[in-house]
Amino acid sequence: MNINVVIIGHVDHGKSTLVGRLLYDSDSISDGRVQEIQKLAEEYKRRFEFAYFIDSFDDELKEERTIDTTGVMFKGKHLYTVTDVPGHKEFIKNMLTGASHADIAVLVVAASEGIKEQTGRHAFLIHMLGIKQLFVIVNKMDMVEYKEDVFQQVKTDVTQLLASLGYQDVPFIPGSAMEGDNIYNKSEHMPWYNGPTLIEALDNTKLSKEVKRLRFVVQDIYTVDNEKVIVGRVESGILRKGDEVTFQPSGVKGKIEKIKVYQDEIDKAEAGDSIGIIANCLPQRGDVCGPSENPPVTTERFLGEAVLLDNRLEKGDMVELRCGTKKAKCKIEEIREKLNSETGEVIDKQPKYINEHEAATIVFATDPMVVEEFYDIPELGRFVLARDRNIAAGIVLETSA
Amino acid sequence: MLDLKDLENKSLYILRESYAEFKKPAVLWSTGKDSTVTLWLCKKAFYGKIPFPIIHIDTTYKFKEMYAFRDKLVKEWGVDLIIAKNEEAIKDKCSPADGHFECCTRLKTQALMKCLDEHGFDALILSIRRDEHGIRAKERYFSPRDSEFKWNYKDQPLEMWDQYQSITENKTHTRVHPILHWRELDMWEYIKQENIPAHPMYFARNGTRYRSLGCEPCTSTVDSNAATIDEIVIELRESKVAERSGRAQDKENAFTMQKLRALGYM
Repeated sequence: MNINVVIIGHVDHGKSTLVGRLLYDSDSISDGRVQEIQKLAEEYKRRFEFAYFIDSFDDELKEERTIDTTGVMFKGKHLYTVTDVPGHKEFIKNMLTGASHADIAVLVVAASEGIKEQTGRHAFLIHMLGIKQLFVIVNKMDMVEYKEDVFQQVKTDVTQLLASLGYQDVPFIPGSAMEGDNIYNKSEHMPWYNGPTLIEALDNTKLSKEVKRLRFVVQDIYTVDNEKVIVGRVESGILRKGDEVTFQPSGVKGKIEKIKVYQDEIDKAEAGDSIGIIANCLPQRGDVCGPSENPPVTTERFLGEAVLLDNRLEKGDMVELRCGTKKAKCKIEEIREKLNSETGEVIDKQPKYINEHEAATIVFATDPMVVEEFYDIPELGRFVLARDRNIAAGIVLETSA
Repeated sequence: MLDLKDLENKSLYILRESYAEFKKPAVLWSTGKDSTVTLWLCKKAFYGKIPFPIIHIDTTYKFKEMYAFRDKLVKEWGVDLIIAKNEEAIKDKCSPADGHFECCTRLKTQALMKCLDEHGFDALILSIRRDEHGIRAKERYFSPRDSEFKWNYKDQPLEMWDQYQSITENKTHTRVHPILHWRELDMWEYIKQENIPAHPMYFARNGTRYRSLGCEPCTSTVDSNAATIDEIVIELRESKVAERSGRAQDKENAFTMQKLRALGYM
């Protein structure tokens, strides 16, 4: 099984060091790379840093901070893709990019500092992204002499913060990425701790995925050997040959005659499969297909929650909204509540605008399109907003606002 | 191991997105294993016929065998091949003796820029992978190049949930990276599963083989006895030698790769 893990937390609390440590202790670093890093450390006249395995831009090394997200892989009981993200507020866009595919998040909090601005914001954002599995590493225990009372205090504070976002019973691990305590190998410095190391906690994780109702998104229509092949991806559920289906917002209906994967024909396809189908109807790119007895519903107005990564978003603004393969014209009809993106609390009602890094619940008025509520079918319950670039990410709270 | 089906599914999705979103895409092919797998994925995504041209950047320094392999596959797969060369640099006798940075920039990056200008491609499909190099690990699936062909790596787009940014205003083109998430090991397992033609130079002869193929003067072998795909797979599971350890331009100094890529190198 491949598990995607994102490492989050405030700047300088040790995220990149943690990822470097995991790679190093799991013996996943090539020989040449270790020498390269040693040479680099000498060049910069600094001590060997585990973070150097991850940070690759010269600006990142010079400034000793991560700018953009990196994905690396290593093997434990599962095969892990570990994503390191930057901890600075100005790089939240890159943090979200890295976190958007994660199954599990590891929140790193330095024992010596406790909760800082990005601790809360990152936790809020992964909660919005729907990441349910979370571990907390209370890092840099070496800097507080491995004292249990410091760990307990941080644990109490972070537990309270996480509870306000809806996270309960989160496991806390005291450790030091720099010294290698309780990350991959068990620490000898904290006899008072009997819980798992980080890798043990990850290895014991079980991911379950519910099979929901069929949703297939249309990417394109190709003509192959005089046949119209509707290509796209099954986002949820199972698509079977013979199914009676409806495509929205086009409104066309048909029966699945063939499911094609290159030269093969298959009888069924499941979530994640990129396939082509032949049906006796002609939908369009952007359509969502579902069973005719329970078809996707076209909407033109819905309530969502979004975080802004551009200068300002105002009530009345026109933007492009992208969900599945649909690009829809979209108006910011109402900004209902502005949220504190460090805690999730409502801080303003009906504001005229929100600024960069602020989050809000918003009523979107769009071209006819299909969206689903995020808790129900997440694949079609999340969207990005674009102007001259992608500017915001959000989830669908209510399909009819 | 990663599920090859999952890797392939995502790559097919990306390729189809790029074809739907851009007016004039093209795919780059070095004849190496990665870009040959990408061509195969294109065949799968588009049901046999790749609906855009294939660009081969010819530095004139490639191995003889690479040219032979190229011409054979072009014939067998019936693809639309464009050969891109920087004739001016070739006339100047540009070579690795001028420095790797200079040589790669002129013979590869500038050859590509000229080809792009001439044909007006707005998207280039490239076969880089995150596990090859730290700088490549920082890439997006859809990665815009600015009006000067440059990679603004300090301000990359928000890219979440397969919502790739395909806005073309003020961009020379967008790089599309359909196999960014694959590892070297996955490549070989997939080549075996799909029976994709692979260059003979990847297989060991007299105790050495190539792990990564580039220009002849700047590419060296690694010690290996892996003479079949199965043996390569076993070797990679155990190996602690970096894939591109035989590629000189990666190692000239710590940030050559970053500087090359910022200017538009692959």
